[in-house]
Amino acid sequence: MNMKQSSPKPYWNSYWAGFGLGLVLLTSFVIMGRGLGASGAFTTAVATAVHEVAPAHAENNPFYAEYLGDGSRSPLKDWLVFEVLGVFVGGFLSGVLANRLKFAVEKGPRINTTRRLIFAFIGGGLMGIGAKIALGCTSGQALTGGALLNAGSWTFMWCVFGGAYAVAYFFRKQWI
Amino acid sequence: MNAPFYKFGLFGDEASFIIAFLIGIGFGFFLERAGFGSGRKLAAQFYLRDLSVLKVMFTAIVTAMTGLYVLSRTGMVDLSLVYLVPTFLVPQIVGGLLLGIGFVIGGYCPGTSCVSAATGRIDGMVYLAGMIAGLLGFAEVYPFIVNFAHSTSMGQITLPRLFNLPYGLLVFAVVLMALGAFAAGEWAEKKFGGKEPDPNGSLIGASRKLTPVRTLALGLAAVGLFAAFAGDPYRGSRATIDTRDLAIRVGKGADAIQPAQLAGWIIQGQNGFRLVDLRPEKEYAAYHIPTAQDVPLASLTPDFAAHNEKLILYSDDSMEAAKAWFLLEAQGFRSVYVVEGGLQKWRETVLFPRKSSEISDTAFERQAEVAKFFGGAPQAEGASIPANAALALPKTAPVALPTLPDVGGSNAPAKKKKKEGC
Repeated sequence: MNMKQSSPKPYWNSYWAGFGLGLVLLTSFVIMGRGLGASGAFTTAVATAVHEVAPAHAENNPFYAEYLGDGSRSPLKDWLVFEVLGVFVGGFLSGVLANRLKFAVEKGPRINTTRRLIFAFIGGGLMGIGAKIALGCTSGQALTGGALLNAGSWTFMWCVFGGAYAVAYFFRKQWI
Repeated sequence: MNAPFYKFGLFGDEASFIIAFLIGIGFGFFLERAGFGSGRKLAAQFYLRDLSVLKVMFTAIVTAMTGLYVLSRTGMVDLSLVYLVPTFLVPQIVGGLLLGIGFVIGGYCPGTSCVSAATGRIDGMVYLAGMIAGLLGFAEVYPFIVNFAHSTSMGQITLPRLFNLPYGLLVFAVVLMALGAFAAGEWAEKKFGGKEPDPNGSLIGASRKLTPVRTLALGLAAVGLFAAFAGDPYRGSRATIDTRDLAIRVGKGADAIQPAQLAGWIIQGQNGFRLVDLRPEKEYAAYHIPTAQDVPLASLTPDFAAHNEKLILYSDDSMEAAKAWFLLEAQGFRSVYVVEGGLQKWRETVLFPRKSSEISDTAFERQAEVAKFFGGAPQAEGASIPANAALALPKTAPVALPTLPDVGGSNAPAKKKKKEGC
């Protein structure tokens, strides 16, 4: 009994998880007239933090300025910021219900933890930069724009897969 | 039903944040259910051992796409009000490649890293820290690459419009492509991942039973097939007009914008509107008001802009613009304005203003400044009224305009819009 409770439950079938995700996206279209996102919320958070520390620097930087709004209210009062807070909560809830909460490092057997974490940091950095150049990440561009048949999003999506497959071989020790 | 609800003003910003939070919970929940809190499972996509990323992503895309098509086609959703991220072709190719490389190195994309961190994965947390570092670095470099970031701009454009194909047909094509990719993916999982297809959870398994997963696939294919023949999902091609309301608005002149006012907005760098030049391409190329986009009258289809976007139209005089105004109003556009007097008046009042006893020196000085800004020249008092051809029109100024302090007088700058996209 105890054993059963603590062992993680299997993941859902991909098609049903995708169907659920699609319905969430559709709900967002119908209620809000916009899709999902992720990276934008972090940009807003970073812009707000920089603005707190060095207001002049943030206001003079065209990149930050775009995320700071007109100053009439906190830039953190932003749709994507609340949405991403929800993503953390939703992920946590699902993890709890499936016994998947665990402090661990996801990696293949052929790499040590330190190296894996360095790679995670570098990968995160590249993603942050790429998402800003492309005006969105896998959520805001590929998923949302994909469903809207957005020309740029489909271009973007193929390039994500293309870039990933092109370099996957060189990083195989990290994963397999 | 008038959806998207938010864009029709059914609730305000405060309520939208609660909805954002709830939608986010759903988003995070399904990502975690799919196993996307694990970088190892995600990365397996790129070694063809576990194609969950492909399956989850395309099932989601197809579900939302077909659902949105049906709701729009039946008139419940105004598709033109659903925000489209504008296309910048080369930046999106470069950004996409970077993201793909980052995906393999980091193991996550921004959304899935949140779920990973929320379920305790340390690499997910480190990934997030890396992303924040990347954003901080990018902000410092951004001023130097801003021209690149804005290059190859194509505006808000869908594939059906780009390739001039029926929207529904493309919906069907995407459904078929996705189903084909699923079958290929399951085959790859078996070959490279050694995974036998789960009899209940796969499309190509040996059993011939109509499992729920196969029913889902058939259902999506059926909606796709319907879309292929059901026509355009955009509203507006068959709109009804409230002629009384139109007449009142025309009578009040509420739809007119003075050239001087427009000049002030352009100088301030306001971007809360789209300036549309209705003249043929040739005339547009010879001269147009800076920031204007050339959309000849015949190209004013219902989907050329979002229906709630602020559109400012101009042509040589008011007449042509008025026709377009009426056309767009009839198509259901909600805020269409006309530059009063068209280019004619723009030329007389903005480019080549004349000193007269009615205006004070300071006011004229300001006009002169504006005129010079747009490449025109102020005219001395008593100068003969220039004929149309007498004054050469300036070369159109580049779109990136410097800001001039305190021009436009009473026009308070519109609220700066925050980015809507991701």
